[in-house]
Amino acid sequence: MSEQNRPQTFAESISALMDNQASELELQRILKASEQDSDVKATWSRYQITSALLRGDKAPVFSSSVMSDFSARISAAIDLEETLQVDESTKVSVEQTKPQQGLWYQLGRVALVASVAGGMVLGVNQFNAIGVDNSQIASNQVVAPASVETTVSLPSGINGPLLNTRNVAVQTGYETRPQENRRVMFQPRQATPVVSDEEVSRYVNQMIKAHSDNAAMNSGQGVLPYARVIITDEE
Amino acid sequence: MPKISLWLSSLVVAVTAAIPVQISYAQENILFPPKSLPSVQALLKKMSQDAAHINYRGSFTYQNQTSIELQSFRVEHWVENGVEHDRFIFLNGPERVIVREGQPVDCKAMGDELLQGRISQIGKILVDMDDLYQFEIRGQERIAGRMARVLQVIPKDPYRYGYFLSIDEETGLVLKSWLIDENAQPLERYQFISLDLNPDIAQLKTQMSAHQHKAVSDVTPCNPTDISKPSNWQIDWVPQGFIFAGQRNLTSGQTMLMYTDGLTTFSIFIEATTSFVPEGVGKRGATLAYMSRLSVKDVVHRVSVVGEIPVAAAAKIAQNITGQ
Repeated sequence: MSEQNRPQTFAESISALMDNQASELELQRILKASEQDSDVKATWSRYQITSALLRGDKAPVFSSSVMSDFSARISAAIDLEETLQVDESTKVSVEQTKPQQGLWYQLGRVALVASVAGGMVLGVNQFNAIGVDNSQIASNQVVAPASVETTVSLPSGINGPLLNTRNVAVQTGYETRPQENRRVMFQPRQATPVVSDEEVSRYVNQMIKAHSDNAAMNSGQGVLPYARVIITDEE
Repeated sequence: MPKISLWLSSLVVAVTAAIPVQISYAQENILFPPKSLPSVQALLKKMSQDAAHINYRGSFTYQNQTSIELQSFRVEHWVENGVEHDRFIFLNGPERVIVREGQPVDCKAMGDELLQGRISQIGKILVDMDDLYQFEIRGQERIAGRMARVLQVIPKDPYRYGYFLSIDEETGLVLKSWLIDENAQPLERYQFISLDLNPDIAQLKTQMSAHQHKAVSDVTPCNPTDISKPSNWQIDWVPQGFIFAGQRNLTSGQTMLMYTDGLTTFSIFIEATTSFVPEGVGKRGATLAYMSRLSVKDVVHRVSVVGEIPVAAAAKIAQNITGQ
């Protein structure tokens, strides 16, 4: 351990910085000290390697030339801080698209540490941007009315303009059973004040139940189609 | 000092942890070794025929396009004295069970006949399944701890949807099923998470539930050898390959006409009514209900086409129904 006495307090501060616990004052103090003190530089370098391994970076390559100038890079990163904050999303994409060990990578990493010390929760943004594959999430969107408009032409006499889709739900049942989707998306051809949404929903669900007997028998997939059935207690 | 020693020990942990991570990463990229693939016909036959003969108890999850909720179910199936027994248990929400029993194990419904390519040799107007869908075996997949063959099914016209079916190599059970719309988006997904092929049948038989609902086991006739037509109603157009499978009169007063092309089904509901008929398109999950109004000899009928089919198909079917 070369960090004795005075350097030891710096080591504590650097450790705190790595843990995202350092105050603005500590950060300034470390940066100033690292300009003169090689021990502080060395400590910072070691912690960077450890941190890289913990983050799961595959092959952290830290040549001595890269390490020697670390504090200067931090200072540079902080100088860049304003720009980075303005265009955060761009920086995140740089982080993603340049995973190499090049200059951009190192700058990005340093900027990341500096940003964290500055109190930004950049890691969360980065995680969201990388981790979520939107195509894997089932779409919860209302059926596009456009698909209906492309259908064959309707016979004369009943081809009024198609109205917007409205969600139909049996309110009481739906609210007490959030795990079940009883909703029938109904796209009426005409405004139907005579018939309630509940009635349409009940009517459709009753037909889906009867249809599932057909599907379970004639679609080659066994009883799986019964998962589409909504059973209500009044039946 | 404590923080320094913490970091040093972390370094050791990190180094040792990093090595196995990289190895397992490499292993993930190794594909299953290719074996000789069964023919599509053999796979479809296995799917529609073999699973009826075995006993099993399994759980699966279900999700559809209109709800982000994941639902789970348990299925129990056993054969006793040549008769099939099914129990379909809703594991989410209120307790509900659908029971279906009494179907002879050797009963082949119209859908099975079409899947196995048997009915196509009887009627002249009938077409091969290959005219309706493009089938392709896409290799192997492990689901619920079991090996399955992945069958990609792409429709050849805009009147039906596509499928990804993963079929258990041993039993023929469909372990995973995705219904795919015309934009290549999944409309609904089933996937088994566990499967027990040696359930305690004595125990299954004694299970009773207060919320049992009986399903109709003989909704369409077994082992049809000919193509029949619906009585009283004339359906002038259905998409190519869809065959009339049977007709029922429901307690609600509706006449139900059932159609299948082997993989996809739709049902037509017709009832005379004196009240206002709401017209439009209802949709829940992958199932669509095209509702319209039809006058036959001054009697207003409520006509609905219900099935896992695109709206273009349902609308055209509904517009080509006439009374006799």
